[in-house]
Amino acid sequence: MAGYKPVAIQTYPVLGEKITQDTLYWNNYKTPVQIKEFGAVSKVDFSPQPPYNYAVTASSRIHIYGRYSQEPIKTFSRFKDTAYCATFRQDGRLLVAGSEDGGVQLFDITGRAPLRQFEGHTKAVHTVDFTADKYHVVSGADDYTVKLWDIPNSKEILTFREHSDYVRCGCASKLNPDLFVTGSYDHTLKMFDARTNKSVISVEHGQPVESVLLFPSGGLLVSAGGRYVKIWDILKGGQLLVSLKNHHKTVTCLYLSSSGQRLLSGSLDRKVKIYSTTSYKVVHSFDYAASILSLALAHDDETIVVGMTNGILSVKHRKSEAKKDSLPRRRRPAYRTFIKGKNYMRQRDDILINRPSKKHLELYDRDLKNFRVSKALDRVLEPTCTIKTPEITVSIIKELNRRGVLANALAGRDEKEISRVLNFLIRNLSQPRFAPVLINAAEIIIDIYLPVIGQSPVVDKKFLLLQGLVEKEIDYQRELLETLGMMDMLFATMTRKESTSVLQHASDGFLENKKVES
Amino acid sequence: MAAGGGGVADPLSPAGVPCAFSPLNQAYFALASADGQLRVWETANNRLHQEYVPSAHLSGTCTCLAWAPARLQAKESPQRKKRKSEAIGTSNQIDLLALGTAVGSILLYSTVKGELHSKLISGGHENKVNCIQWHQDNGCLYSCSDDKHIVEWNTQTCKVKCKWKGDNSSVSSLCISPDGKMLLSAGRTIKLWVLETKEIYRHFTGHATPVSSLLFTTVRPPSESQPFDGVTGLYFLSGAVHDRLLNVWQVRSENKEKNAVMSFTVTDEPVYIDLTLSENKEEPVKLAVVCKDAQVHLFEHILNGYCKKPLTSNCTIQIVTPGKGKKSTPKPIPILAAGFCSDKMSLLLVYGSWFQPTIERVALSSKEPHMCLVRDISNCWAPKVETAITKVRTPVMNCEAKVLVPGVPGHHAAIKPAPPQTEEGESKRKLGENEISIEERLGALDIDTKKEKDDLPQTNSFPVLLTQGLESNDFEMLNKVLQTRNLNLIKRTVLRMPLHAVIPLLQELTKRLQGHPNSALLMVQWLKCVLTVHASYLSTLPDLVPQLGTLYQLMESRVKTFQKLSHLHGKLILLITQVTASEKSKGMTCPEQKAKLVYEEESSEEESDDEIEKDSDVSDLFPVT
Repeated sequence: MAGYKPVAIQTYPVLGEKITQDTLYWNNYKTPVQIKEFGAVSKVDFSPQPPYNYAVTASSRIHIYGRYSQEPIKTFSRFKDTAYCATFRQDGRLLVAGSEDGGVQLFDITGRAPLRQFEGHTKAVHTVDFTADKYHVVSGADDYTVKLWDIPNSKEILTFREHSDYVRCGCASKLNPDLFVTGSYDHTLKMFDARTNKSVISVEHGQPVESVLLFPSGGLLVSAGGRYVKIWDILKGGQLLVSLKNHHKTVTCLYLSSSGQRLLSGSLDRKVKIYSTTSYKVVHSFDYAASILSLALAHDDETIVVGMTNGILSVKHRKSEAKKDSLPRRRRPAYRTFIKGKNYMRQRDDILINRPSKKHLELYDRDLKNFRVSKALDRVLEPTCTIKTPEITVSIIKELNRRGVLANALAGRDEKEISRVLNFLIRNLSQPRFAPVLINAAEIIIDIYLPVIGQSPVVDKKFLLLQGLVEKEIDYQRELLETLGMMDMLFATMTRKESTSVLQHASDGFLENKKVES
Repeated sequence: MAAGGGGVADPLSPAGVPCAFSPLNQAYFALASADGQLRVWETANNRLHQEYVPSAHLSGTCTCLAWAPARLQAKESPQRKKRKSEAIGTSNQIDLLALGTAVGSILLYSTVKGELHSKLISGGHENKVNCIQWHQDNGCLYSCSDDKHIVEWNTQTCKVKCKWKGDNSSVSSLCISPDGKMLLSAGRTIKLWVLETKEIYRHFTGHATPVSSLLFTTVRPPSESQPFDGVTGLYFLSGAVHDRLLNVWQVRSENKEKNAVMSFTVTDEPVYIDLTLSENKEEPVKLAVVCKDAQVHLFEHILNGYCKKPLTSNCTIQIVTPGKGKKSTPKPIPILAAGFCSDKMSLLLVYGSWFQPTIERVALSSKEPHMCLVRDISNCWAPKVETAITKVRTPVMNCEAKVLVPGVPGHHAAIKPAPPQTEEGESKRKLGENEISIEERLGALDIDTKKEKDDLPQTNSFPVLLTQGLESNDFEMLNKVLQTRNLNLIKRTVLRMPLHAVIPLLQELTKRLQGHPNSALLMVQWLKCVLTVHASYLSTLPDLVPQLGTLYQLMESRVKTFQKLSHLHGKLILLITQVTASEKSKGMTCPEQKAKLVYEEESSEEESDDEIEKDSDVSDLFPVT
């Protein structure tokens, strides 16, 4: 008995946005929790140590939140003026913050009053950070200076006066205790070395720098300013690697995901974009309700915290892993059944005969094999099939048409069934990949049901809908034809001007047509 | 009642616009808008009463304003009650309005004359005026500024009476005690001054941020056991920038307590505050706080010393737009100010935009904890220009010069030269303020209805949105632009868009052309427009074929089915016409058959009393039988 050949299902490229690993990963967060702060949230920083609390700087207060609580577990409010840039030390026990009045204050996270106060800046201090050895603090201020402070005896060690405008962002190297980078509104980024008393690298960003970030390895530097995010190679002495322009307003904050594979940038255009650090392409983006000022990710990307200009803090937690293994798995054949006889060495005169592998047929294929055409069509017209995999339905219709039994399959249906077929047509007729097959089917349906038309208002309505759709599609195609004419003109001027090499280069069929026409 | 007269608008926030109700019965509402114009509205009928543009309105915008107390006009009567009744009688002539500007000058504007009364400049402030307060009795004016000083003015002579340093930083707010002997000033900390000696009487801790509003709340009546010394039992209220707490402080002669006795919490930064004074001990103080997030919070509290926990509001009021359709959610309408009416049982709410606010009286009921008023303000957006009653003062200028005013496009109130103010106008004013004929009013109304639009004015430009959307690949933004049906708009957008955005737009269109014909039809319009407008640019592109190749192929594959589809369409049309025709004929035949049936029934079975009549009918119909 000759084997039955299953219907070939044509596959089509999926339209629309591709679902990548990244989309799945970054969409796997719960709906955000929103916390109202007292003013614009200028900085969010996660403690590097468990339980990964985070400090939120807004207006003149610093709140420390726990992981799941929406109430601050601690508040530092002893600021005379707006506080800036509350940052945890690497061990998560100390917190340093700048202030509008030029002070830098160091807090123990269990205490309330500042442990140390570093006085020396004359204007607002917008950026502070701990160096890698934990005993020094770097601060940058609106008086154009960058200062290095010693924590134990709360003294100023060094002052760098190389910037010529406000210093608004900075970042200390995680590896070398002497290196740190600052970005300023004079459009430059400078890397300072505490051993040399001056900057070792200076690069020109081109816009006022709003945020800087060093990769954990210390080899790459990321800066944000204006609408650009730029990546610099430090080891090559500050060479520009990539310039990214994916926001349409100023980029205000940068963050690196915990794996180091993804870079996040938040902007005043209310978006957070996520870049791959290998290709530097946008792999995902988030929308928020207001302009974003600060952004931070928890350990293992468990939480995304975004602070906005309207004082709202948006906290997104990752969904917990779904428990999959709840159903007991069906018992499979043991491993040895599969390897049985596989290690048999073939003797000289043996002829190897493979056991014919059993072919698994789809349900509609089984019906087709047994010539139950109506049944096969019914199967593929089930809503689960028509919505999820319309290409299977279309392939079966095509196959039926090829066999010349489409009319039989479509005939003899009641009101409910015929309206199901018509629904499918209405849904898919306008798709160019299905159109030829479905137009044919529609004509057959009309031919079959013409005598009994007008008996069911439901079916009449469907026909009316179909007619409306076809009319629209025809209008659309007419417009397209006109546009094609325009493009022909355009291409014609092109071919006249250019040499024929271009024509040969473009192997598309339409160009040959054009040549014939012209 | 508005004891402080208002002027409590937040000087630092962009949302707070300096505005105030006129004292006593709140007949007028003055608002100094961001474009430097002063407008006075009638609260009773929500009409623009006067409009005034200071000559330096762009350089020195108005930062604060205060109505002169009504007593100034009725000086001769010393007794309080009589004074009050007289003031109500003459309330149409509430006159002077003090305006502080960003450059440090103070203007006195007379609403009766409709022009500038005088200017207070010499020896005054060098920086932005933050707050102005009138003294109730002696006609003095107090002002504070960013230059750290407080100035006492004599309004008759327009001279400085006294000037002293009020704080180490800028002084942001002032308030005069009800008996007129004390002055409160606030930067971050709050100071209480004795007005006679200009000495500090008391310090208070104040707020972390600049204080934006100060109001004296209550005086315990002097008929208590001890005689009233002007200080004991005095409470005042303060609100600050970026602060969601309003603090209440108590002034005591014996105790030098520096901290707040209690506080009220609100949901956002306060923008406008009003309160009613309680006249006896049992009556609670009523407080209305307008917040930045478009909510009004109402508090009722009997002030009685220290209270540990912050109080939350008894009632909140919100005003929202009606959602159109199912999808659009109602949006909150910003509220500019709220003032208690004289009966203390209703509230005047001013909401909408600052160039066309709506003033409404809302009755208060103490039972409901939340009131949400649905108001459609979309038809109020068209700016009203009632030239008949406005007194527009424009600076002297060349008639060919074009003045650009910030605000809504198409708002030309200031561009029109002032209507000639002749003696006729003067006489009219003497007759009464609002004397315009019905005809004129109707005329004004007609103009307004023509200008009305259903939607909010479109302020964001399409080409900018389009390029931004293409750059950041923002789906919603692109949808907003690309799904327009207006052909003219499409054409203009394509004309104005930058050249570098053309190719990205074509790529975006390629993506969108593959969808349902409904939406794709719109995309074709865009494509056609791009091709016609930028044809020359496109033809110069060296890589035109690879750029547009996919698009071309896509379109071509789609139009392949054109013939078949037309064929199908023909069949469908025939089918549909048949169906409709059969339905029509059905409809036609039905009544006929029915009539027949009825007729037969009647003729065969009617055996009742009116046989004869029926018979006669039948015979009429069938004369043969």
